[in-house]
Amino acid sequence: MTPSARARRRELARRWMRAVCPTAYVPLSPVEIELFLLDLVDVVTDAVRAEPFTPDAVADVGPRLVRGHFSGQETLQRTVDVLGPALLRAPELRDVPRLAERVVAVVGGIGAGFAVASRLDAFDRQEEVKRALVVAARQAERVLEVGETRFSAVFGTSPFGIAVTDLRGVCVEANAALGEMVGVPHAALTGRRLLGLFHPSDAEALSAMYRAAGAGRVDRFREQRRLVREDGEPVWVHLAVSLLRDADGGPAFHVTMAEDVTELHLLRKNLDHQLLHDSLTGLSNRQHFATRLEAMHGASSGGITLYHLDLDAFSVVNNGLGHALGDRVLREVGRRLAALVAGEDALVARIGGDEFAIVVANGPGTPAVPEMVERINDALAEPLDSGAALSASIGVVDRPSADWGVDELMRAANATLHRAKAHGKRQWLPYDRPADTRSRTWLARAARMPGALADGEVEVEFRPVADPGSGRPVGYVARLRWDELGHEECVGLAEVNGLSLVLGRWALREAAEAAAGWSAGALHVELSPMQSRDEDLVGTVKRVLEETGLSGAGLRVFLDTRSMLVEDGDNAQVLRDNGIAVGLAGFNGGQAELSLVGELAVDALVLAPSVVRRLAAQRESLPHRAIGQMVRAIRESGIAVFVPDVPTPDLAAWWHGVGVDGAYGGFTGPAVPGYEL
Amino acid sequence: MTERSGWVPDGVDTGLPSAARLYDYLLGGGHNFAADRALAEKFLRAQPNARTIARLNRSFLRRAVLYLVGRGVRQFLDLGSGIPTVGNVHEIAWRAAPEARVVYVDYEAVAVAHSRMMLAHDERAAVLQEDLTDPDAVLAAARRTGLLDLAEPLGLLTVGVLHFVAPEDDPAGVLAAYRDAVAPGSGLALSQFTADLQPVEMAGIVEVMKKSTNPVHPRSLAEITEFFAGFEIVEPGVVPLPLWRPEEGAVGEVDPARAGILAGVGSKR
Repeated sequence: MTPSARARRRELARRWMRAVCPTAYVPLSPVEIELFLLDLVDVVTDAVRAEPFTPDAVADVGPRLVRGHFSGQETLQRTVDVLGPALLRAPELRDVPRLAERVVAVVGGIGAGFAVASRLDAFDRQEEVKRALVVAARQAERVLEVGETRFSAVFGTSPFGIAVTDLRGVCVEANAALGEMVGVPHAALTGRRLLGLFHPSDAEALSAMYRAAGAGRVDRFREQRRLVREDGEPVWVHLAVSLLRDADGGPAFHVTMAEDVTELHLLRKNLDHQLLHDSLTGLSNRQHFATRLEAMHGASSGGITLYHLDLDAFSVVNNGLGHALGDRVLREVGRRLAALVAGEDALVARIGGDEFAIVVANGPGTPAVPEMVERINDALAEPLDSGAALSASIGVVDRPSADWGVDELMRAANATLHRAKAHGKRQWLPYDRPADTRSRTWLARAARMPGALADGEVEVEFRPVADPGSGRPVGYVARLRWDELGHEECVGLAEVNGLSLVLGRWALREAAEAAAGWSAGALHVELSPMQSRDEDLVGTVKRVLEETGLSGAGLRVFLDTRSMLVEDGDNAQVLRDNGIAVGLAGFNGGQAELSLVGELAVDALVLAPSVVRRLAAQRESLPHRAIGQMVRAIRESGIAVFVPDVPTPDLAAWWHGVGVDGAYGGFTGPAVPGYEL
Repeated sequence: MTERSGWVPDGVDTGLPSAARLYDYLLGGGHNFAADRALAEKFLRAQPNARTIARLNRSFLRRAVLYLVGRGVRQFLDLGSGIPTVGNVHEIAWRAAPEARVVYVDYEAVAVAHSRMMLAHDERAAVLQEDLTDPDAVLAAARRTGLLDLAEPLGLLTVGVLHFVAPEDDPAGVLAAYRDAVAPGSGLALSQFTADLQPVEMAGIVEVMKKSTNPVHPRSLAEITEFFAGFEIVEPGVVPLPLWRPEEGAVGEVDPARAGILAGVGSKR
C-alpha cells in the first residue's frame, strides 16, 4: 500500500473513532481504540477491493465491533455515516468496478452482522441479569419475601419467553410472553412438559442437551429451534438454557429463555431500508440512487435523463424558520417531486442536504427536458404552509451515451448543476461537454499545482512599477508565472486547491531574496485573499525580512481589500507597527472600501484589475471622470495610488493625467526574472 | 451515577429502578430494565450530558487503576462496584498486571450475584455483599477472602459512589477508617458529583433521584478535597473528570465545565 493510502486509512479510523466514541463506552485508551478501528478499516477496504468480490469478507466486522463494546444505540448509524461516503470517495478505490454497489453490499453486511451480534449480546446480558435475579431472589427467599415478588415482576414483564423447569423437564413456571408465543394462556403451561412445545425433530435434539445440562456437564447452552403454536404454525426462536443450582450447589432447575427471531428478520429488513433510504424524506439515498441509476441506464431503450436539483436559498428557510420547519419543507419537496414523476419509470432521491436527483427512463409520453424543468419549478413554486415558496437550480444530463459509468453520470450532473447555479436562482442548464472539459482542465491544473511548485515550474517574475509620465521604474511588483499561466490565474488556482498560503509564503520569500540584492526601488508584493487573513502573516513577513536581509523599508505589502472588509484589519496595523509599508490591492472605490482606507491608515492603493480594464474599454465616460476625481481626492490625503494592467503608453499617459503614482503592465515591457535586475 | 444501589427494602415497589442499572444504561450497556430506562430519560432531561459524564467517569476509573498499577499497586478494593458493566477493575488491572487481585464490594444482592457469576472461575477476584459505610465489616470480610494483604499498598476505589452516601452517614469518617487500615503507599481514587460546575443541572439530578432508592448528595471541591485527608493528592489535583491525566489522542469533544463530577487520586503518606 502507498504511504498516502495508509495515511488516509489512518485518518478514516480517526474520524470513525470521533464519530462512535460518544455513542458507547469502550474500555481502551484512545490510541488503542484507533488501532482497533484501523484494523477494521483494513478489513473493510480490502474487502471492497478484493477480486472476486464477496461481502462475506466483512461478516465478522459487526460482531467484532459489538465484542469491543462499540455497541451503543447510535453506533451503527454513525458507523454507516462515516464508512459509506469515505469508501465511495477513497482514492485507492477509485478504479474499483461497480464501486457504489460494492460499498452498499459491504456496509449492509456490516450492518447485518452488527444487528445480529448486538441482538445476541443484549440477549446474553439480559440472561445474565435474570440469572442474577433468580439467584438473588432464591437466596433472599429465606429472608425476604420481596425477592420473589421482584423476580415475578421481571419474569412477568420480560419480552422474552421464560420457563423454569424441573430436572424432569416439567414447567414449574412460565411467563406470559412464552404463552403468547405458543398461543396458550401461560398459566396452562405449568405442569406441562416444555419439550412438548417444540417441533418433534427439535425436541429430540434438545432433550439430549437438557440431560447434559441437568447432569451438570454443561451449565448452559444456546440453540436456534422451532416452537409449534397451538394452531400448528412454527415459530423460530433463539434459546438460552441455563442450569440453576440449589444452595448446596447441586442441579435444581433449568431456566429457558426464548426469543422470537422472526422479529430479527424484521429488524434486518428495516436496517436494509435505512441503509438505502433517506430517513427524513423516505426517498432513496445517494447509494441506492447510484445503484438504480446504473441499472436504469443499462436497461433503458429510450435513454435516461438525469436531473440534479439544488434548492435555492434553502439555508434561508432553514435558518430563518428553524430546522424543524426546514425538515418539513424537505419532506414536502420530496413528496412533490415523487408525485411529479409518478406516471414515469423514474426514481427520486435525496442525495445531499438540500439536493435531490431524479432519473427518468424516457418513454413515448415522457415530457421533453424544458417541459420537465418547468414542471419541477412549478411544483416547487406552490407556496408551502409556512408561506415560503421555493425554486431550484437544475443540472440536466439528457440521454447520455451508453458507455458512461454511473460515477461519470453523477459527476457530470453535479458539474452542470454548479454551472447553472453560477447564473443565479431558478436556472437550469443541459450538460455541455466543452464547458465541462474546460472546468475539468482547470481543476486538473489546480490538482497538479502542488507538484509543479515542488518541481520549480512556478516562478516569481518582476514587473517594473513605472512613473506613467516618464516611464522610469520606481519599484518592482512580484508576479507569479507557471508556463503560460499568468499571475491572476496562478492565484485563482491556488485558492481552489488550498495551496494559497503555501504559494504566497513561498513567493514572498523568493521575491524578497531577489530584491535584497538590488537597488532598483521598493518591492511590491500583493497578497492573496487567504494570505491577507493569515494569522501568522506578520510572523512570516518578519522571518522573511530577517532571513533574506531585505530591509523593511524596501518592502511594500498589499493586502487584499475585500478580505480586509470581512476581517478586522489587525494584520495591516501590526505590519505597519513593525515598520513595513502596507497598502490595499484590488481596490474598486466602493464606499465601504473608502472608509476602510481611513480606518486602516494605509499609505498606498492598487486599483482592481477589473476596474482598470473596464475603464480602458470606454474612454472619456462618466466612470473615467469619477475615477479621476477619486484618485485625486485619495492622493490629496497622502495616499499613493498604483494602477495594474496598463497595456499601452497611450493609456499610461491618460493615467499620468489623472495623477497616479505608478503604473505597471504591458507598456513597461514584459516581466523579467529576478537575476536580470 | 453509581457503582452500587440498595436492595429493595420494606414496602417494596417492584418497578423501582436502580442507579447501578441506570449507570449501565447510560454507558450503553444491556443490564437494565424498563423502569431503569424511564429513570434514565428523566435523568437525561435534567442533565443532557449524562451519557458523556457516565463515559468520563468510567474512563477515569480506567486511568486511575492504570495509574495505581503503574505505581506498583497490585491489589484493589472496589467499594460500591455495582453491576459488572463494561471495563471492570479486574479487566483493566489484569491487562496491565495479570497477578493483580481485586475485591469488589456492593450492598445490592442482584449486583453481587451477577458479579459472582462473572467471576466464578477466577481465584484472583472476589465479591462481597457488604455496606461500604461499615468499614469494619468490609475489612474483616476482605481479609477472609485471603486475596488482600493490608501490609502491602492497596488501591481503594470509591468511583462515582460517595454521592450516594448521605452526610449523616459520615463519608469522611468512613474514608478515614479505610485509610487507617491500609499500608503507606496505598492509593485512593475518588470521584463524585458536584454542584460547583453546573448548579442548575445538578439541582435537577438531585430532584430526579430524590424519589429513587438512591438519592444524590453533590459536594463542593472543598468537601471532596477534605475526603483525601491523610492522603497526598497527586497531580493534577481534584479536577473535573476529563482533566485528570488525559490520555494522548483523547477525543476532544468534552467540555470540563459540563463534566458534572470531580475526581482525584491520593497516595497515603
